[in-house]
Amino acid sequence: MTYIVFILSTMFVVGFLGFSSKPSPIYGGVGLIVSGGVGCGIVMNFDGSFLGLMVFLIYLGGMMVVFGYTTAMATELYPEVWVSNKAVLGGLVVGLVMELMLVYYVLGEVHGDVVIEFSDLGDWVVYDMEDYGFVNSEAVGVSSLYSYGAWLIIVTGWSLFVGVVVIMEITRGG
Amino acid sequence: MNPFALIIIMLTVVLGTLIVMTSSHWLMVWIGFEMNMLAIIPILMKKYNPRSMEACTKYFLTQATASMLLMLAITINLVHSGQWSTMKPLDPTASIVMTLAMAMKLGLAPFHFWVPEVAQGIQLSSGLILLTWQKLAPMSILYQISPTINSTLILTLSILSVAVGGWGGLNQTQLRKIMAYSSIAHMGWMTAAMMFSPMMALLNLVIYIILTTTTLMMFMMNSTTTTLSLSHTWNKTPLLTTAILATLLSLGGLPPLSGFLPKWMIIQELTKNDNIILPTFMVITALLNLFFYMRLTYSTSLTTFPSTNNMKLKWQLNPTKTTIYLPPLIILSTLILPLSPMLILLE
Repeated sequence: MTYIVFILSTMFVVGFLGFSSKPSPIYGGVGLIVSGGVGCGIVMNFDGSFLGLMVFLIYLGGMMVVFGYTTAMATELYPEVWVSNKAVLGGLVVGLVMELMLVYYVLGEVHGDVVIEFSDLGDWVVYDMEDYGFVNSEAVGVSSLYSYGAWLIIVTGWSLFVGVVVIMEITRGG
Repeated sequence: MNPFALIIIMLTVVLGTLIVMTSSHWLMVWIGFEMNMLAIIPILMKKYNPRSMEACTKYFLTQATASMLLMLAITINLVHSGQWSTMKPLDPTASIVMTLAMAMKLGLAPFHFWVPEVAQGIQLSSGLILLTWQKLAPMSILYQISPTINSTLILTLSILSVAVGGWGGLNQTQLRKIMAYSSIAHMGWMTAAMMFSPMMALLNLVIYIILTTTTLMMFMMNSTTTTLSLSHTWNKTPLLTTAILATLLSLGGLPPLSGFLPKWMIIQELTKNDNIILPTFMVITALLNLFFYMRLTYSTSLTTFPSTNNMKLKWQLNPTKTTIYLPPLIILSTLILPLSPMLILLE
């Protein structure tokens, strides 16, 4: 259980490897589903139950579905798979080897704290000094996004709107 | 393009750069870069042909990679210092990665390969925005992190850029590619100045933007994209040949024109810091730049090629293209060298 975040983050990266060697886009859907689910697990290990649910609902259930439909519309007769040519297979193997080397490096070091230090104490150790009383710190974070972080909400909302305008302009303009 | 969509997209390009320049949180800086990149894609794709789509794709891929490097630098800085403020000095590793990210965004060598190809595939007006406005945001980030930039890295980027910008532009006849290599060389000068005096880098940026805007607007006036069609300017707009001569020589950095001011100031700052070899090398490679500007002025203003007699009389119709702000820009890009004592205000 000490290493659960590390294992999940390794699976996260391996999930991305599935499509980063650029086979057919369908692999993107599968890879993102696996990595999205694992990412939800990582977030939940840091008291992020609401955000994990958001990953599944909005990311996988909203954006991924749209992506899946667009790739289904763009299928080709002979899609590229992992073993179709040496480039794709080579990219996949190189990625897996690099990830294996990283795992070996992190676990082989004396304490192995690259970003997160492994500790059996878990929740008994206080990592930060911010005191939110009895409220889950994640709930405080999400709610402060709408109060203290109002500018961020405005900017990201505008970016999403402009994203849609740009995509419509590129595909259907002129 | 639908005017409503055009207003929204232009507003987002401006807003993205302003967010980058004014944010105190590194995540907002990254968001600003992404907004800017997203919104400039339809501007680069004004004409819907495969060449401009290829240019847009190349631009998007390189800028997205640079944004990911920026995010990596921000994360490294967060892990080492625990905070997101742009006001605090950067961790050295984060500084190196961020400098590389900004180098990719600016088109510094060895990340320069996208600049000529993207500049060639788009309209002249889109090229104007690409080469001028898009330089503001990365340069403002370099200015903010200039106390902690690794000097070896930035001077290597600068030396490679002035060399590539000089030699790369020698074999070009397409004007957009010439302006792209000119941009690479000028970015090289700016990053060399950034190391010793960030204010001179900003001076170079402002004068470079004025010069490039003037040059590209003069090209836009006759919609010329090749040296050959530029050499017909004497027949279409004779007055423009003088302006092209003055502006191109100013871009090459000849005194007594404005383009000499940033080069002079940068050489002064470099030599004040006991650097002799670097400014010598930069000036010598600036001669390569001057050579291809001179070639343009030779074929445009200084020579009239033989032509048949009935080609010498063009029916002078009323011009339909509006040239916004071109006379003040020409004056700004050639005559502000006598104002250089005003730089004493910067001390």
